[in-house]
Amino acid sequence: MALVTRAEGRMYLTPLVGFLLLFLGFPAIVNLIYSISAVTFETLRSPVLSGFSNYVAVLNDREFWSSAWFSLRFGILTASAECLIGLFLAIFLAPLLSKRPVLMAPLMLPLMVAPAMVGLMYRLVLHEFAGPVPYYLFEWFGDSPAFLDINNAFRTLVVVETLQWTPFAFLLFYMAYSAIPLDVREASSLDGASPFEIVRWIDLPLMKPTLVIAFFIRFIDGFRVFDNVYALTGSGAGGSTTSLSIYIYQAFFKEGAIGKAVAASVVLFMASFIVLHCLNRLAGRRKR
Amino acid sequence: MAGALRWIVFAIAVLAMNFPIIVTLITSLKSQRELSTNPGLWISQPTLDNYLEVLTQTSRFNIYAYLLNSTVAALIGTGLAIVLAFPAAYAIARSEAGKRLVLPIVINLRAVPLIIFAIPLYMMYQWLGLLDTRIGLGLILTIVNAPLALVILVNAISDVPVELDEAAKVDDASSLQVMMMIVRPVIRPALVTTFIFGFITAWNEFLFGLMLTTSRAVPMTVGASFFFAASGGGVKWGTASAVMMLGALPPALLGLVMYRQISGSMTAGAVKG
Repeated sequence: MALVTRAEGRMYLTPLVGFLLLFLGFPAIVNLIYSISAVTFETLRSPVLSGFSNYVAVLNDREFWSSAWFSLRFGILTASAECLIGLFLAIFLAPLLSKRPVLMAPLMLPLMVAPAMVGLMYRLVLHEFAGPVPYYLFEWFGDSPAFLDINNAFRTLVVVETLQWTPFAFLLFYMAYSAIPLDVREASSLDGASPFEIVRWIDLPLMKPTLVIAFFIRFIDGFRVFDNVYALTGSGAGGSTTSLSIYIYQAFFKEGAIGKAVAASVVLFMASFIVLHCLNRLAGRRKR
Repeated sequence: MAGALRWIVFAIAVLAMNFPIIVTLITSLKSQRELSTNPGLWISQPTLDNYLEVLTQTSRFNIYAYLLNSTVAALIGTGLAIVLAFPAAYAIARSEAGKRLVLPIVINLRAVPLIIFAIPLYMMYQWLGLLDTRIGLGLILTIVNAPLALVILVNAISDVPVELDEAAKVDDASSLQVMMMIVRPVIRPALVTTFIFGFITAWNEFLFGLMLTTSRAVPMTVGASFFFAASGGGVKWGTASAVMMLGALPPALLGLVMYRQISGSMTAGAVKG
């Protein structure tokens, strides 16, 4: 006999499912309806169906595509950088950290601070008069770039995001690396393998699933970035740092273009659905 | 030799990744006068004046209100997420229900950009009168916290030996009694971890705070950005830094004390799921 019957199980699931349906299912339906309606703030309760004109408007909007391009590049670049540095740190620092676990705390500290707050902090760090980075660059090299202008803002944001979230990738890799049994490494070392060969042929293959997962988690978070970009540069000079999330936010709050904002949301939802579907298929195949 | 190199790499990594926090801390301890002449990383005359100003002159920027809003909303968002996720996790771990549909959907929710729900939620809140309320913000934070809470609790309950449930069952306990009186005490550590991690996540949330609150229920993350916006071009960096440090302190302290537990929950669903 099952410990908990299916009927009881359903009962226990009901509160969570009901809550999610109310707060996410209902908005999803509203999204779909508004995305095919002509609607303004005055006609919120009586949207008039207007076919796919909102979608056409979004897909013809150059701003939309440039923000999608921003998000894609941002996601790929930051996820790659975070995973590479995180992997190096995890493997290189493992002997130190396994002896002194408390050293993990300062490495994890950036993860505890709100990304929005970190974005604000960088306003200070990079400020041309009050910030230490421009100050020292002037002292040592006599010149300092404008970190947040149209040419550099993207690079600056990639560095900001990478520095804050590398600890996450590092943490995943360190845990996966620590889980590899020591005798596997010792055996190959006895067989004359160099430390580099052990990493290349033993550790990395065993850590591959974690590498893939970490990359995807970081990619998704980078792709949907909002907080630190908004706090540090907003949409940036000439819209140069408009991510998809910021595009939707501005379409709604600044322009009041509800239909456009909602249609862009639906497009983003479809895109993330496809990515997640592929990822789940991949993970499913691995388990089998 | 290799040992020394590891220490050096460790130090560089810690300094680089925590650099904004270090700079903000140093700036918050400088006097108004020193700030105008010395943007560097040393302090000639450390002072607590900036903190005093932020904590005592609350007429223009009431930091207590923001801190209270963040605390209340985060408590609602964490507590409710656990109340909803715990029975669901029990059902998923111990029955046939929910494994095929609910669990995967909720896990994937973590990866969906929540902004796509933000606009209808904004309208819904307008109808329900939940805009700019702590409860409204707390309810959204529940959504943010639910996925990870469910994953951590499913993992924790699955690790509890089934024999424990069975023994209680023999004594005629109902499944509700088993859940509340056997399983709940056993997985207490996981509940605590979920709470801490959820609280940090909720405290640090920004997007919904920005969209759904305007004055009465504004959380700390958004309040700090107001501080910058209000001061326009002439930001007083000393007090601004004190504001940022005070806003970052609660989650940072929790995180530093509980880093072991948090590293486990942060990777839940990534390593085990």
